[in-house]
Amino acid sequence: MTRRDSALRLARVGGVITSVALVAFAGIYVRALMFTPIERFQGPAQKIFYVHAPVAWAALLAFLVTGILSLLYLIMRDRKLDTIAAASAEVGVAFAVVMLTTGPLWGKPVWGTWWSWDARLTSTLFIFLLFVGYQVLRGALHDPEIRARFSAVMGVMALVLVPFIHVTVYWFRTLHPEPVLMKPERPSLPGVMLVTLLSSVAVCTLMYVGFLLMRYSLAVLRDIREEEIVDGVS
Amino acid sequence: MEYPDNGAYMVAAYIVAAVVIAVYAVSLFYRIRKAAKR
Repeated sequence: MTRRDSALRLARVGGVITSVALVAFAGIYVRALMFTPIERFQGPAQKIFYVHAPVAWAALLAFLVTGILSLLYLIMRDRKLDTIAAASAEVGVAFAVVMLTTGPLWGKPVWGTWWSWDARLTSTLFIFLLFVGYQVLRGALHDPEIRARFSAVMGVMALVLVPFIHVTVYWFRTLHPEPVLMKPERPSLPGVMLVTLLSSVAVCTLMYVGFLLMRYSLAVLRDIREEEIVDGVS
Repeated sequence: MEYPDNGAYMVAAYIVAAVVIAVYAVSLFYRIRKAAKR
C-alpha cells in the first residue's frame, strides 16, 4: 500500500467517525432540548452547558495533544509528530470558536454580562489567539524544518496553559463556575443532567478523533503532492 | 414552575455550535476530496 493509499484510507476512517459523531451530536441536541429538565434558577439558558462544556473539553484536549506532540517533536525530531500536532491545533481552534461564542451566550442571561476579563475567560481567549497565531505562523513559513521547530515551541506553551486554565477557577476570583466533573468530589449534577453532559462529552471526544484523522490525512496528502511537485521540478 | 425567559440565548448558542461544527466538517470533507483528486 502506498503512502497516498494509507492517507486516503485514514481519511475514510476519519470521515466515518466524523459522520457518526455528527449524527450523535444531533441526538445530543434532541436529548438536551427535549428530555433533560430545565434548571430552576438559570432557566433554558442553562442548557447551553451541554454544548459549551463538552466543546470546551474537546478544544482543550486538542491543544493539550498539540502541546505534548510538540514537546515530543522537539526531542525526537519526527515530522509525523509535527503533522499530527498541527492537525490537532486546527481542530482545537474550530472547537474553541464554538466555546468562545456559546460561553458569552450563556453568560449574558446568567451573569448579566457577555464577557468578564477574569482569569478563566482571559486565559481561554489567550490560548485561542495563541493557536490562531500558530496557524498564521505555519502558513507563513515554507521550510518544513523551521516551520515544525517554531510551531512546536508555540505548541509547548499549551502544555503550561491548559492545566493553568483548569485551575483558574480555584486560584482566582471569577464569574465562571467551578467544574462539575473534573474535580476530586463526586459530580455536582442531578443524574439525568449528568447523563446528557457525559454523552455530549463522549460525542465531542469522538468528533475530535474524527476531525483529527481527517485533518492529519489531509496534511499527508498535501505533503505527498508537494513532494511530487519538487520531484517534478528537479 | 416559573423559569427565567432566556430561551432565545439557548437557541442562538445551539445554532452557532451546529453551524460552526457543520461548516468545519464540510470544509474537511471538501479539502480532502480536492487533495485526493490531484
